[in-house]
Amino acid sequence: MHFSMEKKGQALIVAIQGELDLHTSPEFKTEISKAFAAHLDLKYLIFNVKEMTFIDSSGLGVILGRYRDLQDREGRLYFVQANPQIKRVLEFSGLRKISIFADSTQEVLEQV
Amino acid sequence: MENKNWIKLEFPSETRNVAFARTSLALFAAQLDWTLDELEDIKVAVSEAVSNAVIHGYELGEGVVKIKASYLEEELKIEIEDFGRGIADVERAKETGYSSIPEERMGLGFTFMYEYMDEVAVLSQLGEGTKVTLIKKVNNGKH
Repeated sequence: MHFSMEKKGQALIVAIQGELDLHTSPEFKTEISKAFAAHLDLKYLIFNVKEMTFIDSSGLGVILGRYRDLQDREGRLYFVQANPQIKRVLEFSGLRKISIFADSTQEVLEQV
Repeated sequence: MENKNWIKLEFPSETRNVAFARTSLALFAAQLDWTLDELEDIKVAVSEAVSNAVIHGYELGEGVVKIKASYLEEELKIEIEDFGRGIADVERAKETGYSSIPEERMGLGFTFMYEYMDEVAVLSQLGEGTKVTLIKKVNNGKH
């Protein structure tokens, strides 16, 4: 699993490639938490999951934890370009209800 | 001739082996005629069961996870077994949102297994371990 982070204004864009599970989620959690701690103006978290091939409850748990950080800042959570399998897992886990699905990062950046 | 096959896997309880287990099981399961969604269901369910063994069974310590998988015609059966601490209250562990480790995995492990497989059975003995049996039928048993 690889991920890259980019800050644009008040948004943190995180592009995920590969599988987010018990093994790969701790580093992912640490890096995003560091970005939150370093940038107190961050309000929008945009996960580009176009190249994410798998997620289970370990990965979902980490994302939910970051959503709680966002809530403290009255921010919002976005998923960009989720494939049908990933969408199904996000919907079933309930994360769909607390996030916004979008077709492109650009589209989200124009809204925030 | 009956369409049947089986495999056995045994590996140390390590987080990196969760991906190994679900990918191997998906490759084995792919000998049957699933939809893409169904194969994904199997991967998620196996990932949850093996993650439970690693986190809860062995509390991220040393241990061995054993998997037996087989199919007969269109029914796939996967048994995932650990020899760790066992589950004190199996019924409670199955509840959505329940986790013995707060802030972790949303308490969704068993919920995913029940949603994505046709049958789930959990046998656990405190101090001896846990065996989770997952069954899924091609086309949900319908033709």
